[in-house]
Amino acid sequence: MSQHQESAATGGLTGWPQSEFRKRKLDIRFTGSGSEYFRIWIVNLLLTIVTATLYWPFAKARRIRYFYANTLVDGHALTFHGDPWKMFRGHVLLMVLMGAYSAAGHFSPVAGLVAFGILALIWPALWRAGLQFRLGNTAWRGLRLGFNGSLKGAYAAFLPLWIGSGVILAAQAIGGPAGIAADGRPRFGVIEMTVLGAMLLAGLCTPWILTMIKRYQHRGYRIAGQQGELSMSTGSVYWLCLKAFGLSLLVAFATGLVMALVLGASAVVVKSKFVGLILAFVLGAAGYLVYFAVIGPFFTARFQNLLWNATTSQDLAFTSQLPLGPLVGLTLKNWLLTAVTLGLYRPFAVVHTTRLRLEAVSLTMDGDADAWVAGQASENPGAAGEFAGDFFGIDMGL
Amino acid sequence: MGGDTAAPSLRADYFDGRSARARPVRLWLEQDQLVVHDQDLATVERRYPVRQVLWPERTRHGRRQAQLPDGGVLTTQDAGAWDDWVLAATDGRGLGTGLAATWFSSWRHTAVALVAVVAVAAATWHWGVPAVADTVARHVPATIEQSIGDHALEQLEGFLLKPSRIPEAEQREWRQRFAMMVASQPDLPANYQLHFRDTGRALGPNAFALPGGHIVVTDELLKLLGDQPDAVLGVLAHELGHVREQHGMRLTMRATLVGALLGVAIGDFSSVLAGAPTILMNASYSRDFERAADAQARQLLIDSGRSPRSMLLLFERLGDWRREREAQAKQAAASEPKGVARDMRDAAKAGAGEMLRIAFSSHPADEERMRFFER
Repeated sequence: MSQHQESAATGGLTGWPQSEFRKRKLDIRFTGSGSEYFRIWIVNLLLTIVTATLYWPFAKARRIRYFYANTLVDGHALTFHGDPWKMFRGHVLLMVLMGAYSAAGHFSPVAGLVAFGILALIWPALWRAGLQFRLGNTAWRGLRLGFNGSLKGAYAAFLPLWIGSGVILAAQAIGGPAGIAADGRPRFGVIEMTVLGAMLLAGLCTPWILTMIKRYQHRGYRIAGQQGELSMSTGSVYWLCLKAFGLSLLVAFATGLVMALVLGASAVVVKSKFVGLILAFVLGAAGYLVYFAVIGPFFTARFQNLLWNATTSQDLAFTSQLPLGPLVGLTLKNWLLTAVTLGLYRPFAVVHTTRLRLEAVSLTMDGDADAWVAGQASENPGAAGEFAGDFFGIDMGL
Repeated sequence: MGGDTAAPSLRADYFDGRSARARPVRLWLEQDQLVVHDQDLATVERRYPVRQVLWPERTRHGRRQAQLPDGGVLTTQDAGAWDDWVLAATDGRGLGTGLAATWFSSWRHTAVALVAVVAVAAATWHWGVPAVADTVARHVPATIEQSIGDHALEQLEGFLLKPSRIPEAEQREWRQRFAMMVASQPDLPANYQLHFRDTGRALGPNAFALPGGHIVVTDELLKLLGDQPDAVLGVLAHELGHVREQHGMRLTMRATLVGALLGVAIGDFSSVLAGAPTILMNASYSRDFERAADAQARQLLIDSGRSPRSMLLLFERLGDWRREREAQAKQAAASEPKGVARDMRDAAKAGAGEMLRIAFSSHPADEERMRFFER
C-alpha cells in the first residue's frame, strides 16, 4: 500500500475508507488454561509471601498480562502496558491508607468517623485514577483504551453512598453504639431509628447507586475516536434486584420446606430423630450452599447481560448472552473443589469463570477497525487508584 | 529486508500505537539491537536496544507480545514460531526469562514453590504472626489498650453481663483478699479492675480477662467455689496472668493480622472461607496463653503462701457441674412432648453445644492443667 492510500484510509474527512461501511461481528475468545495459571499463581504467591507483599504489584502485572495475552477480541489479544514500578507506589500508598482506616475503627467511633470522612473524600478520586490507569494501559491492536470520566462525575456517583454511611456512623459516634444503652439494656430510640432508617434507605437506593456508578464508568470508556455510552435504565436495575430478592426468598422457603418434610418423614418412617437431624443438617448446609450458588450467579449473569447489552459507542455495540444454568453449575463446582483442595483449585476456578463470562460477550462493529487511529494522548494516570479498585474488588468485568 | 544478515528472522505484526492497522514486519537481532523491518515500506527500519523492549514471558497459552519503548507492539499469531525464533536468535538464552518464568514453566519447580508456600505459611503462623503481633501489642499506648478494653466490656455489658447479686460486703471482702494476695509480688505490675457480674446460665462458673486490666468474675463461680477462697484466688491469679502478659491485646493483634493476611491471600474468593481459620487460630494461640496464665497463677499462689493444689478443686467441681448440667438437659428433653419443633430446638442446642466445645478447646485439657497444679 502506498503512502497516499495509507493517509486516505486513516485521515480522510470521514475517517473511513469509502467502500468499507459494513457491520461485522467480533467474537471474544479466552484461551487461558487453569493448570498454567495455577503454576503462575503459585510462583506469584510464593514471591509475594517471601517479600512481605512487596512483590504484589509485579505478580499482579504478570497475572493481568497472562489474562490479556489470552483474551482475543476478533483474533487480536489485549496488551497490558502497566508499569509494575508505578503500581508498586500505588500499592504502598493503598496499604498505608487501608491500614490507617481499619486501625482507626478499632480505637474509637469518632476516630472511625474521621477516617471514614477522609476515605470518603479521596475515594472517588482514587477510583477514577484506577480506571484511568487500567484502561489507559490496556491496548487492542496497539491502540490504548482510555477513561475520561470527570472527577466531578466520580464524586456525584458515590455521593448517595457516602451520605448514607455517614449518617449511620455519625449517629453512632454521637449517641453510642446502636441498640445498647448506657445501662446495658437493649433500647430502641432516636439513634436506632436513624440508623435503621438510613440502612433501609441505603438498601432501597442501592440499585440506583449501582446504575449511576455503571453509567459513569461506561460513559467514560474510550478507544480511538469511540466514546462509550450506556443506555441501561434505573428501572431495569430495580426490576433485576427485585427478581433476585424474590428468588432468594423462594430458595430460602424451599430449603426450609424440604428440611421440615425430611424431619417429619424421618420421625414417622425411620422413627429415629437422630437420622432426621443429621439429614436436616446436611440439607440445611446444602441449601446454604445452593442459596449462594444460585443467587450470586443469577445476579452476575443477568447484570452482566443487562449492562453490556446496553453498552455502545459510535460504531460498536456489545452483546452479552451469559447463560444462567452453566454459571450456576460452574460456581457450585468451583466452590466445592476450592473448599476440598483448601484453596488450591482457585486459579482453575478463576480461569473457567473468566472464560465463561468473556466468551458470552461479542461486539458488532460498524466499519473497519483497520482505519481506527489513536485519539489525543491521554494524561498519564497514577497507579494508586488501580489498587484502590482492586482492594474493594471493583471489577470492570471486561 | 537485510538480506546481507544471516541472523534468524521472524515474520510478525507490528502495531505502532497510533493506527489499528497491523503492519507485516520482519524481526531480527543485531548485537544488542532489535531490528524491525517493514515489509511494505522497504525504507523503514526501526531499531531498539534489546534491553529496552519488554519481552513476553513464555507460556503455553496466549499470544506473544513484545512492548517497544515507543509504545509500539510486536506480536504473532503463532506463539511457537516466536519461541523458536527467540531461541535461535539468542543461542538458546531466551528473552524475557526471569526467575519467575523459569519457575512457573516447570511442574517440578511449581511443586517446590507450593511446598515453600505451605512452609512459609506454617512458619508465619507459628513464629511470624506471634512475633509481629506481640511487638505491636507491646508498643500500643496504654491509653489505647484501656479504651479497647473499656469498649469491649461496654459491649459485653449490653447482652451478656448483668449486675452481680453478690452482696456489696462480700464483694469488698474478695477484693481485699485478692489485693493482699497480689501484694505478695510487689515487683510485678498489678493494674487490674475486678468486676463481679451475673451471667445466669450463659457462661456458668467462669472468669475472663479483657485488655486494659478488666477481670470479670461470674456469680456462679463464687457460688461454686465460695467455700474455698484459695481456689477462687487461684482463678483470679490466672486472669491476672492474662492481664500481666497482655494476652487480650496480643490475641486481638494476632487475630487482626491473620485476618488481614488471609484476606489478602483468599479474601476475594470468599469471606466465609477466609473467616473460618481465624476461629481455629484463636483456639490454637489461646491454648498457649492459657498455659502461660496457669504458670503465673501457680507462681502467685506459691508467693502468697498458698498451695497450687487448691486449684485442683476448681477442675473437680467444674467437672461435676458440667455432668450435672448434661443430666438436667437430658431429663428436660425426655419430659418434653415430641414434635418437629422440639427436634429443631434440639438441633439448635446441639449446635450451641458444639460452639461451647470449640470455646472450651481454647483451654488445654483439664487433666493436663490438673497435672500442672499438682506438681
